Amino acid sequence: MININISIPKESRERAWWIWIGVLGVMLAVGVFGAIRVFVKGLYVTGLSDQVPWGLWITQDLSSIATGAGAFTFSAIVYLFRIKKYQPIARAAVFVGFLGYTSAMLALAMDIGRPDRFWHPLVYWNVHSVLWEITWCVILYSIVLVLEFLPILLEGKYFDRWPNLRKYGDLIHKASPVFAAIGLGLSLLHQSSLGATYGVLSGRAIWYKPSLPVMFILSAIAGGISMTLLLTILVGKLNRRQIISRELQYDISRFAGYALLAYLYLKIWDWAATSYYSSSPGTSEALALLQSTTPYTRTFWWIEIVLGGIVPALILLNANFRKNDRYTMLALGAIIAGVTVNRWNVTLSGLVAPPRWSPGVLGNLITVSYLPTWNEIIVSLGIIAYALLAFSFGIKYLPIYPKDEEGAH
Amino acid sequence: MISKKGSAGKPNKKKPLVSRKEFLQIAGATGAAALVTQLITSGPLSPDAIQGIGEKTHGEEGKSEHSWCMAIDLSKCIGCQYCLWACQATNDVPDDEMRWNVGHPERTESGTDFFMTRPCLHCAEAPCVKVCPVGATWKRQDGIVTMDYKRCIGCRYCEVACPYDVRRFNWQVSINENPYQPTWGSAEVERRSRGVVEKCTFCSHRIDRGLAQGLTPGVDREATPACVNICPVNARVFGDHNDPQSPVSVFVQNNETFRLREDFGTEPNVHYVRPEKEEV
Repeated sequence: MININISIPKESRERAWWIWIGVLGVMLAVGVFGAIRVFVKGLYVTGLSDQVPWGLWITQDLSSIATGAGAFTFSAIVYLFRIKKYQPIARAAVFVGFLGYTSAMLALAMDIGRPDRFWHPLVYWNVHSVLWEITWCVILYSIVLVLEFLPILLEGKYFDRWPNLRKYGDLIHKASPVFAAIGLGLSLLHQSSLGATYGVLSGRAIWYKPSLPVMFILSAIAGGISMTLLLTILVGKLNRRQIISRELQYDISRFAGYALLAYLYLKIWDWAATSYYSSSPGTSEALALLQSTTPYTRTFWWIEIVLGGIVPALILLNANFRKNDRYTMLALGAIIAGVTVNRWNVTLSGLVAPPRWSPGVLGNLITVSYLPTWNEIIVSLGIIAYALLAFSFGIKYLPIYPKDEEGAH
Repeated sequence: MISKKGSAGKPNKKKPLVSRKEFLQIAGATGAAALVTQLITSGPLSPDAIQGIGEKTHGEEGKSEHSWCMAIDLSKCIGCQYCLWACQATNDVPDDEMRWNVGHPERTESGTDFFMTRPCLHCAEAPCVKVCPVGATWKRQDGIVTMDYKRCIGCRYCEVACPYDVRRFNWQVSINENPYQPTWGSAEVERRSRGVVEKCTFCSHRIDRGLAQGLTPGVDREATPACVNICPVNARVFGDHNDPQSPVSVFVQNNETFRLREDFGTEPNVHYVRPEKEEV
């Protein structure tokens, strides 16, 4: 994909676009088939069990929300803190956020046993549940995202025929600072609470720590910035134009690098405090079990820390590396991969290494495992296809990016 | 900012220490903080308020004088598995994978074989009650952790939160014939629908009906959980922990008991006697 920008005639670029759309369309259709199969047969067609009740779809839900965090980050920067130089990427961030949150909702709708009761948390309140708070925040924030996205949609060519409607869009756009403030509050709450979902469970030692909510919000900021910038650079490459100025691109890259550094700092201390300088029976028991039955330790160190953390931080915080688009894109992709693997590792680690409650010794031999089935995988790919399709059409038909930026080649 | 503008116009006028706007801002913020503090310390958002969740959301009235509790004597248990089967028949759980009451062969560190069984422990500080986003799992005044299957959305956070693996999700429609009926009992509750979580209820339907008839759960068989009734060696004891004369209170007083993983802070309401009682 990176090489497509070598001069190719317009018709074949058009053809490549339709092939791309066609591939995504097929992926989406297969995913819809998978989803229907789940709705007809029930969740037993997944690899989930009562011991590992959360898996691929919850990972996808968490990752989509994390990588959609660019929306609240850039909205707050541009409309609340009024750092206007980031304006050219704000719309893309909102759009990516909107797609991330809708993807998450699709994944959740697949995952819960009674999707027809999705509205229950709104009517039946349990204020003591982090998941209740998350549900409220995510629903409210999705409304904020829709309102932030609406003016962009109304600016599309299609809406030329209703100029009055567009006036309302402008009106909504004027309220951007208000939405940015609300969005910041809601995002800080639910992005952290998603970590707290695991962090509050006293029965699972490997999760039970106050650092999880903070690590979730920091990694979401790094991942959200990365997703928005990576897609922006990619779109620029494919369209052979510099969408945002080089300076802005370097600025955002460095910003992502610092956010990543903050996350890494906490992550290293979290590890050091819980597993290196101290040892609690629950944590060391769980880690030993994970080490012997899963690639957890390897993926934690190599993918989360080294490839998804240290390497991209070095690239993005080095002025020379940062100037190389290919390195930058690799680094951004590595951050996204690192955050996704982190959500998988967090979700699965506490479940696959459950606490031992039996007073005997044989109970310790019972191990649980999880592998997503093909049905789960095609549904997940279908949701990704939905997001990419919507993104591709959005970029083509909506004024997501500024028309032409100085410095385009 | 306001005072700056004012001072430019009237240089001699003394500017107030705090402007009205600033004063209102500080007062408002302090008021809001006080309100939030009140709500999360002793108000409806306080951690203790979870105990009354049934009252508010499930129309439970008044305080209960009972606190239901079970004791399991692992030194008496012979591993016949009747308790598992009676539970499956009574609560209509045809699938062995879905057992509310589980059991497996076990061995102590010193090599004594025993049979480990456990129902739901009906924790006083039940993690599953705290995490349920819709309050479908709740704690009754009499200590029973129970579920509203009509409210459950099937998110399975309770399964994730429970450290004792007592919760079961209906992964598919349950249409199988129950192999434990009628030998081990007959269905006394409705089978659950696809997509909701279910769990042991201490046979609350028996307790409620029994109390209404003036019976004593733990003493009168009609009002006692199926697993307790069926045990051929009386390894399971049930009753009201608030009543010092109840079978379970007497049992706990006369035996050295422990609860599963008390370090979790869950305060389970099921007490155990170690399998090696005689040797100690």
